[in-house]
Amino acid sequence: MTDTTATRPVIEARDLKTHFQGRTGIFTALAGVTPPVARALDGVDISIREKEIVGLVGESGCGKSTLGMSLVRMYQPTSGSITFSGDDITHVEGRKLKDYRRQAQIIFQDPYSSLNPRLTIGQIIEEPLVIHGIGSATERRAKVERALDLVRIPAAENIHRFPSDLSGGQRQRIAIARALVLEPRFIVADEPVSMLDVSIQASVLELLDELSRELGLAVLYISHDIATVGYICKHVAVMYLGRIVEEGRAEDILAQPLHPYTQRLMAAIPRMDPGEVPERVELRGDVPSPMNVPPGCRFSSRCPYATELCRAVEPDLTDQPGGQRVRCHIHDDRAAKARPELERPQAGRITEIEDAGLLAQTAG
Amino acid sequence: MAPARTRSPALARDLARLDERLSAKPAAHLKVNGLSIGYSTLRGRFHAVEDVSFEVRAGTNLGLVGESGCGKSTVVKALMGLLPEFTGISGEALLDGQNILGLSDAQLEPIRWNRISLITQSAMNSLDPVYCIGDQICEAILAHEKVGKAVAWARAEEMFALVGLPAERLYEFPHQFSGGMRQRAVIAMALALNAGMLLADEPTTALDPIMQSQIMSRIRGIHEHMRRSMILVTHDIAVVAETCEAVVVMYAGKVAESGPTADVLERPLHPYTMGLQNAFPRLPVRGQPRQPLISIPGTVPNLLLPPSGCRFASRCPFATDLCRTTAPQLHTVGAQSAACHYTERADEFRAAAARPETWRNMRVGA
Ligand SMILES: Nc1ncnc2c1ncn2[C@@H]1O[C@H](COP(=O)(O)OP(=O)(O)O)[C@@H](O)[C@H]1O
Ligand SMILES: Nc1ncnc2c1ncn2[C@@H]1O[C@H](COP(=O)(O)OP(=O)(O)O)[C@@H](O)[C@H]1O
Ligand code: SF4
Ligand code: SF4
Ligand SMILES: [Mg+2]
Ligand SMILES: [Mg+2]
Repeated sequence: MTDTTATRPVIEARDLKTHFQGRTGIFTALAGVTPPVARALDGVDISIREKEIVGLVGESGCGKSTLGMSLVRMYQPTSGSITFSGDDITHVEGRKLKDYRRQAQIIFQDPYSSLNPRLTIGQIIEEPLVIHGIGSATERRAKVERALDLVRIPAAENIHRFPSDLSGGQRQRIAIARALVLEPRFIVADEPVSMLDVSIQASVLELLDELSRELGLAVLYISHDIATVGYICKHVAVMYLGRIVEEGRAEDILAQPLHPYTQRLMAAIPRMDPGEVPERVELRGDVPSPMNVPPGCRFSSRCPYATELCRAVEPDLTDQPGGQRVRCHIHDDRAAKARPELERPQAGRITEIEDAGLLAQTAG
Repeated sequence: MAPARTRSPALARDLARLDERLSAKPAAHLKVNGLSIGYSTLRGRFHAVEDVSFEVRAGTNLGLVGESGCGKSTVVKALMGLLPEFTGISGEALLDGQNILGLSDAQLEPIRWNRISLITQSAMNSLDPVYCIGDQICEAILAHEKVGKAVAWARAEEMFALVGLPAERLYEFPHQFSGGMRQRAVIAMALALNAGMLLADEPTTALDPIMQSQIMSRIRGIHEHMRRSMILVTHDIAVVAETCEAVVVMYAGKVAESGPTADVLERPLHPYTMGLQNAFPRLPVRGQPRQPLISIPGTVPNLLLPPSGCRFASRCPFATDLCRTTAPQLHTVGAQSAACHYTERADEFRAAAARPETWRNMRVGA
């Protein structure tokens, strides 16, 4: 095994924010009210090295795709910075942006709609080369064959077939080949196996894992299917409402999470062994809208342990003795010391929530 | 929880009577024998379900699992009488002894929702967008019980409390609900008449993990408490492990294996069940080594041209010439049964199936 801890990150983001301007309805326009802003991604740090797959988990709408899209510059971040191989690419435009996009690719969830049904497999994979003006026809053909090779699809038999001739798993391999043909150094895999049957998910995950090592790729693996993350990621980050609430080694995050949200998320996963079924505390309400982020800790509107301190002060992501990083007042006493008049939450102590108003606010 | 509104003594009495009548309903028993279902399509007629038999004992949950397209929803639709016209159905489904297959709408009327109810994957399909949710639940109650609207509404309020929704939201329309709330509303509706048999077709698949777990907990809790029977359709074998006493594993329209859940998951007889287990992602457990994730190579056969032998043969690492020519019968071993020629070699197969090479060396290409 090679030690990669010394190498510089391929991609690194600092305090990255991507906000979306809400649409102006007729009423807000008439009233002269500015439409609300969706704080989809609201201050995230992340860094991925060569040959590393970082897992990103969290419920739908928490901003995972927004982070992925911002990192590959399909979305323009509102603030913060993205560094790629040491170069700041947060605001690059034109040729430089095109150059960057060649090296940073994204694979989407749906292998059924992401491939153009009128093009052959060969044409689909060649298309990005044509767009980027790379190589002669013969050179491109060789690159297409190599990409198919990499995803373990026999080129000769498949290059003239259409997506409709292929199974879901094969289509997802084609989508990966299409991303690889540009020889990127960084890939965002956004729920790449979520639409595939469980019986074939493993082969696509294994492929990602092998490719990352063979080609030295940095990969951000996004998934709401948390159990899959443990198989290919060493490092996992958990997002809630636009921010990372916990991160660390996969085995720690999945098997011994510290943040109340991560704990509930992991407990939610059904267990095969009846002896392993954990306690499942009921959470209040639904995930709040990113247009209506609760004050203080973002999880406080649903957290079973929330106290006044949680509603007043947002916790920082802090290092824990075990190496995890956690954003919760239970695991960081600084806020409690600064505001001793506010009650501090305690692990496992379920608090009562007074506000029916919060329920109405969060059910969006 | 929402404050219960004060009910007049008369209303409270009528509601108590309705509740009592409904909870006195016995759990249903269902026996499906030789169920085959053929769809007519432009490309020809094919059997989406073939010779499927199983039994749901009164007061128990049965899990129906298998890859997408293997015929799970088709079975459920047949039981609810929801298959399209011109679908060929044979076999029988005895609900407490009465065959409910092939009944007319008029004959089904007293059965649907009253004796057998359904939660589908997409709550939106079960709800009418133009009526408020409360009215929809009341309508189902009023169609089967001779009570006033106020009593039906009070029952709907109780059902909402059961699934953790505030009573005042009964006045709202489906579009005002989030996905998780809508799914809970559909569950409230399916439970309103306390039918003896609940069919739940992927009731939480479209939802986030925490919502999935909270809704499944409620369904489990309500079912244990009221001792109902349920068929739970899912592709998640861990949900079955947590919820169902018995399981039926389907493959390409047929039953591959069935039996008590604990037995089937611990000692699968059918190579497909072994493959499903290998492919199923699990959370790591501290200090325990973990099996690698292994996928099943190949794809489900085209049902328009079903293979002549075992339907799993093209993906089975243990297939022989016999398998490719002759369809296996169901073999019974203890409480389990499996459609495989080699059930007596299951121990050997299980050991081999746990090794990734066994599946990887098959040259079929996923
Ligand atoms: N292009 C967009 N315009 C406006 N809002 C968006 C856009 N993309 C995402 N959002 C909003 O940002 C939030 C995060 O979305 P997303 O990143 O897709 O979450 P996830 O991938 O975790 O499900 C959601 O509330 C979503 O509605
Ligand atoms: N109304 C229909 N007409 C024709 N074919 C159908 C119809 N409904 C389902 N099918 C086909 O029948 C097979 C079984 O489908 P289904 O019962 O929905 O499977 P599952 O629920 O296990 O995913 C699939 O091949 C599907 O395409
Ligand atoms: S800071 Fe408070 S509300 Fe936030 S997760 Fe910790 S205990 Fe819960
Ligand atoms: S009958 Fe043959 S092909 Fe079918 S599952 Fe058994 S061993 Fe495999
Ligand atoms: Mg997403
Ligand atoms: Mg289905």
